[in-house]
Amino acid sequence: MLSAEMLASAIRLAVPVIITAVGAIYSERSGVINIGLEGMMIAGCFTGAAVAFYAGPYAGILAAMTAGALFALIHAVASVHFRVDQIVSGVAINILAYGVVRFSSLSIFKMATTTPHVDCLPKVTIPGLAAVPWLEPLVSKVSPLIFLAFLLIPFTAWVMNRTVFGLRLRSVGEHPLAAETLGVNVYLMKYCGVLISGALAGLSGAYLSIEHTQMYVEGMTQGLGFIALAAMIFGNWMPLGAMWAGLLFGFAQALSLRVVTEAIPYQFIKMVPYILTIVVLAGFVRRSRAPAAVGVPYERGEAA
Amino acid sequence: MTETRTETREETQKETRQTPVRRPRGPRRKYALLDLAAPVLAVLFAMAVASVALLVIGKNPLAVYGTMFAFSFGRLDSVAAILYKATPLIFSGLAVAVGFRAKLFNIGVEGQYLIGAFCASWVGFAVKGLPAAVHLPLVVLAGALGGALWALVPIWLKVKRGVHEVISTIMLNHTAFLLLHYLIADVFMDKTQVIVGGAGSPRVRMPLMEPTALMPKLHGLADLIGVELPSHSSLNWMLVFGILLAAGLWYLVWRTPFGVELRAVGHSPDAAEAAGINPSAVYFKTFLMSGAIAGLVGLSDLIGHFGYLDIDFPRGYGFTGIAVALVARNNSLGIILAALLFGFLSRGGLGIQVLEKVPMETYVILQGLIILTIVVFWEVIRRYVRARQKREEASADAQC
Repeated sequence: MLSAEMLASAIRLAVPVIITAVGAIYSERSGVINIGLEGMMIAGCFTGAAVAFYAGPYAGILAAMTAGALFALIHAVASVHFRVDQIVSGVAINILAYGVVRFSSLSIFKMATTTPHVDCLPKVTIPGLAAVPWLEPLVSKVSPLIFLAFLLIPFTAWVMNRTVFGLRLRSVGEHPLAAETLGVNVYLMKYCGVLISGALAGLSGAYLSIEHTQMYVEGMTQGLGFIALAAMIFGNWMPLGAMWAGLLFGFAQALSLRVVTEAIPYQFIKMVPYILTIVVLAGFVRRSRAPAAVGVPYERGEAA
Repeated sequence: MTETRTETREETQKETRQTPVRRPRGPRRKYALLDLAAPVLAVLFAMAVASVALLVIGKNPLAVYGTMFAFSFGRLDSVAAILYKATPLIFSGLAVAVGFRAKLFNIGVEGQYLIGAFCASWVGFAVKGLPAAVHLPLVVLAGALGGALWALVPIWLKVKRGVHEVISTIMLNHTAFLLLHYLIADVFMDKTQVIVGGAGSPRVRMPLMEPTALMPKLHGLADLIGVELPSHSSLNWMLVFGILLAAGLWYLVWRTPFGVELRAVGHSPDAAEAAGINPSAVYFKTFLMSGAIAGLVGLSDLIGHFGYLDIDFPRGYGFTGIAVALVARNNSLGIILAALLFGFLSRGGLGIQVLEKVPMETYVILQGLIILTIVVFWEVIRRYVRARQKREEASADAQC
């Protein structure tokens, strides 16, 4: 069961969860809950495929990240500047993104639920390793975004722990008042966190539509944005933890795709990621700690 | 009306804790008007923003919105259609609002009503030989129980394991749909369907419900008040039930001891606990109640229109319910009005699709925009009122 093909499939399925979960870390560490990740992924999926259809995959990926960031900007304006309930704003973003994507899909392609086939990025094969039989499925014809996803993990860890930006971002999520007293621009940090999470959710959407299926299909995110949020919580708001959690989901999904038996109806197999998410969140596996001020709107100059 | 006033009074109390100044009640009334204007302004603002999308695809927004109104209010059957479309939204709005009162966010209405519809449909076709007076209430009860059952898991997880209900209910929405798919397609699929003409494939649906399980239409009642409903209208007694339920919930929230506990926990679980209320118990009861109401959302379509549950049963009422509850600010009367508003937008969306060739997803875009603008508007109003009051207090102090 644990073959290299299986592992490769698990990784392919884990990548969208990992990228979005890493994005969620930026947002949550700055103190903003981003339930709208699902919508930002949907926006990324469609925009990526639509732009890739006309201008190629590179432009598609950039456009997808922009689309995700645009929806994130709405979330940031509403929840940081206007301090509305972050969950409500996120839910609205999800509905809005779904509506805008269907509207655009109908207007551009005259089809509500799919786009035409698009080209993907050139696949990467690592020359030396591909010759090793056991490793072959893992290192040949791999989407470059998969490597990018795994590079994001150490990069984010470095940003969070070793840079001024990361320190400020975390301080804003833990104790915004203290951060502001020390001269940190709280709003700016929160905007950065939310926008980065949106851009990464868009990237993850582009991975799904351009790299994974090579077209946009409605409903292709299947709640992955929320699963990513759960993966981030399970990963204890750390990039490495989010990666392991993402891989766990990818593995569960890969397993469910391969377990084709008459005994278990496929609908139950498709439920596995959702049930797993609930089980993981229920802390049956372990407990985790959120940033202290996450979800609490911050009002500038409240102390005065 | 009483509801909004009491709410603002509570807000005042909250603020006086920070600035212990007694305030005359007069000026508050002045701002109550702002609270009423906010939903209207938010809808207009959302329509203005949605115009951008219409302009991009080369349509004149004014013409599109004009068609929306003309199509919706031009004929009696269109008005009946608005009322019919508003019916499930009253239930979903109430389900979300009850949760909101206790600061519980039930995004799971979507899944709960699918499970509720399944249970109702099962009791509707499997139980035979009962008089309608027994069978019909049983079907409605089954719907409520199904919804409550599906709400049991997330609230148990929240109270016992600290899982935020938003993520768990969203996961359960996906699960509910898959489960429903399995139950309809693999277990209860109606194999006795006769395909007319021998072509095509049978519908993926459950067996037809017994006639005793179906909700009577509203034509009789409409005749009494001198309105002749079109014969094809599916408007049914669920609408009246929804309105009565809204009144009942208003009573529960504002006039019963449980309502006090509910609102206390919603304002501050810690303070409520200090006052001897068990927040976990209140969360539990409230969420189950929200789930039970959610279980009724699909019934107007199920027992008032289709008479069977199929795989394409209408979806999305749960999410619209969030918009309804927010626009109405959880107020019962407001929920009925907001449900009518969204019923109108949905009917109008159909109109512009047919007549103006504008995608009816404009309706979904409007929904998202209305949620965003209404919450932003309320925040702006809150700040404005607070700033005004500070100034008034300052000038009052200066005079003393």
